[in-house]
Amino acid sequence: MTDADVDRLLDIPPFSNMSPEKFPRRTPLREILCHDTSIRRYRKGEIIVRQGDYGTSAFLILSGATRVVLKPDLPLSLLGRQAPVKKGIFRTLAQFWSARRPPESFQRAQLRQDASVGARQNENEEVRVFLQDLPRVLDKHRTEEMTGGDVFGEIAALSRMPRTSTIFAASDSAELLEIRWQGLRDLMRFDNQLRQHIDRIYRARALASYLRATPMFRHLTKEQLDQVAEQIEFATYGDYDWSGEYKRLAQAGTVRPEKEPVIVQEGDYPNGVVLLRAGFARVSRKFGSGERTLNYIGAGQFFGFDEIAHNWRQPQQPVNVQYSLRAIGYTHLLIVPTRVMEQLVLPTLPAKELPPPVSLATDEPDARAAEKSNENARDRVGGDVLEFLTENRFFNGTAAMVIDLDRCTRCDDCVRACASTHDNNPRFLRHGPSSGRLMIANACMHCADPVCMIGCPTGAIHRESFAGQVVINPVTCIGCKACSNHCPYDAIRMVDIRDERGEFMVGEDLKPISKATKCDLCVENHGGPACERACPHGALTRMNLNDLEALAHWMKR
Amino acid sequence: MTRFRRQLLIGSFLLSLVSVLAVMVHCRFNRVLPNYAYLTGWVLFAAITLLAVYNARKRIPFLPLGSSEAWMQIHVYAGFFTVVLFLIHLNFHIPTGWFEGTLAWLYVLVTVSGIAGLILSRVLPRRLSTRGGEVIYEKIPAIRNDLRQQAEALVLGAETRSPVIAELYARRLSMFFAGPKNFWRHLLESRQPLNAVIVELEELRRYLNDQERAVLEKLAELVRRKDGLDYHHALQTALKLWLFMHVPLTYSLMIFSLLHIVLVYAFSGGAR
Repeated sequence: MTDADVDRLLDIPPFSNMSPEKFPRRTPLREILCHDTSIRRYRKGEIIVRQGDYGTSAFLILSGATRVVLKPDLPLSLLGRQAPVKKGIFRTLAQFWSARRPPESFQRAQLRQDASVGARQNENEEVRVFLQDLPRVLDKHRTEEMTGGDVFGEIAALSRMPRTSTIFAASDSAELLEIRWQGLRDLMRFDNQLRQHIDRIYRARALASYLRATPMFRHLTKEQLDQVAEQIEFATYGDYDWSGEYKRLAQAGTVRPEKEPVIVQEGDYPNGVVLLRAGFARVSRKFGSGERTLNYIGAGQFFGFDEIAHNWRQPQQPVNVQYSLRAIGYTHLLIVPTRVMEQLVLPTLPAKELPPPVSLATDEPDARAAEKSNENARDRVGGDVLEFLTENRFFNGTAAMVIDLDRCTRCDDCVRACASTHDNNPRFLRHGPSSGRLMIANACMHCADPVCMIGCPTGAIHRESFAGQVVINPVTCIGCKACSNHCPYDAIRMVDIRDERGEFMVGEDLKPISKATKCDLCVENHGGPACERACPHGALTRMNLNDLEALAHWMKR
Repeated sequence: MTRFRRQLLIGSFLLSLVSVLAVMVHCRFNRVLPNYAYLTGWVLFAAITLLAVYNARKRIPFLPLGSSEAWMQIHVYAGFFTVVLFLIHLNFHIPTGWFEGTLAWLYVLVTVSGIAGLILSRVLPRRLSTRGGEVIYEKIPAIRNDLRQQAEALVLGAETRSPVIAELYARRLSMFFAGPKNFWRHLLESRQPLNAVIVELEELRRYLNDQERAVLEKLAELVRRKDGLDYHHALQTALKLWLFMHVPLTYSLMIFSLLHIVLVYAFSGGAR
């Protein structure tokens, strides 16, 4: 961004309406615009954001027009994805002879893209995917025009949720201002008008449906739910680009809870129930001069409810917050103020849904925890394992490969099964960090927070369905390594592909063509992941590590 | 009760029940049914074939044929049951002819190697995880080579040039770092070889200055790491090696069994 660009921005809304004096000296408005925004130009038909993608930025239209696809959604092939298809009987049987092919070999025809989309590089060598037959798209899909001054993508950027719609440029040289997440956060922090505007959009578009799906609020009437939604506060903690930071800290061996941002401090007055909308947080308690991890919570879970319910029922014996809550990586929260809980929510809950009274702190950190299933699971899993899972951020995995080293005979049947099922290229390493008898192998965990999906220029890496497996479409993967560089667990590998004769395929620049490969949980095969089915000793499982109960059950099997 | 324990109890109970039933049926019909030996032979052959099919199942993991764990359970219990069938087929007698003798010996070897493998599969993984230092088997030579280079760099390094340490390395440690050592001792969980080397290193301390002692400490650490590597190598080799006996022996048994069937039909003329 040049000075002239920033001057131009400062002359147009919403920046012209902002008061530079409200911004602190160390982060002035001008600096935010200079460092956290960039002007991007799109040609007609180029896709700006893709439905289902994860993004780190919002967009403000400066000039030109864009269109948002309303109904029906664009077909998967136009978004760079593949429709999930289970192998039929013939394709399944064909693996008897196709398994002998060289690893990752393709026929040219298999890599042919949908002719309705094309890809080109702009002057900055960024890959842009564009819709070839725009009139046809406009004819078949209901779209709505967005023009200068409109903002989009802010909810996905702030809450780390998938983009809800596809938006493409509808005029040549559409000019958009891309605002990075950090910039948007700072602008909202120091400009009330923008914050209120985005909060309003958030409440209208995303919050109501989320609250309706939260069990705690299911007894509320629509009016009461609207009141709750009106008074909920939003907060974000940590670093959006946590994966890079985590990789650096993990290599330096300095991942410590004491360094994580505190959301709620043990011993404070409970100001509200914290609902995790995205990301993860660590529940800990002071232990010596450090913090002992007691649990971790992810999206959909909450914190502070027990204390507030206790104080509401026993106002004569109030308790403070019993544990600390710290953001791990990036955390987006909704906070329901204590007053709202006491006036609107708690009175509607049946007695059996209220937690038991809080027993005051003892030296034993979980004196009251024994009554709760998940906390019981925590005890059964053991503190060391819990600390290990948290330190390595493994709770992010919804299908992590967990190996019981006490049962594993190191026979590699799992690796061979994976190779047989995936073009002779095993998609994981039977090795990884371990704690006691548990090993988390180096395989894609199909993360709840899939940072690998941020920044794929063609949409090749995607969820097979909403909250489903993370898969890569080899047809549209251009081998840019964005996903493998982002993955904090090094679970994505770049592989040079071959043709049917076993020769390496080369591109127009005569360099080998690489594709990103990773575990796809055998999404096309019948019977579930081959690795799990191939283990003769029941030593390997694919597991959601955010479900401690399941882990405890498996460990005690 | 854990799932594994429940499986063991149910499996053992069913195996005992079926075995007792089989022996009772044998006692009842042994001298009654015509071609009884043919019947028991075919049942035994079918059971052995079922056991052998498990290896084929492992080679086609892409077909939804159930979990390998379930197959393994069936393989183990059916394997034990074939012992009963085998004894029934022999009518609890030792075979006399050389062909039948060879066949019987093959069966015994397959069964014994299977049982040994089962025991190793249950015992060694726990020992490996308790010892720690998990390593991929195929990477062991590269890691060993790296340790050897580190040790040589220490001994030849400009820091010391100690003739005492150099002499010890040439006499004692160069062979130790050169390849896998103490296979059987590790398998028997003996720490004696490691202790012997460490004691020898300790005894040298009196001849060394401070700088050389620091080098000796580092060398001792490399020796411990190499010993840990040898431990993994020994146990992981044992875990792989038994299959190299069990599977070829099974193929031999199948071939001999087929020949046995052909010979029986060709020459028995109505055996009972």
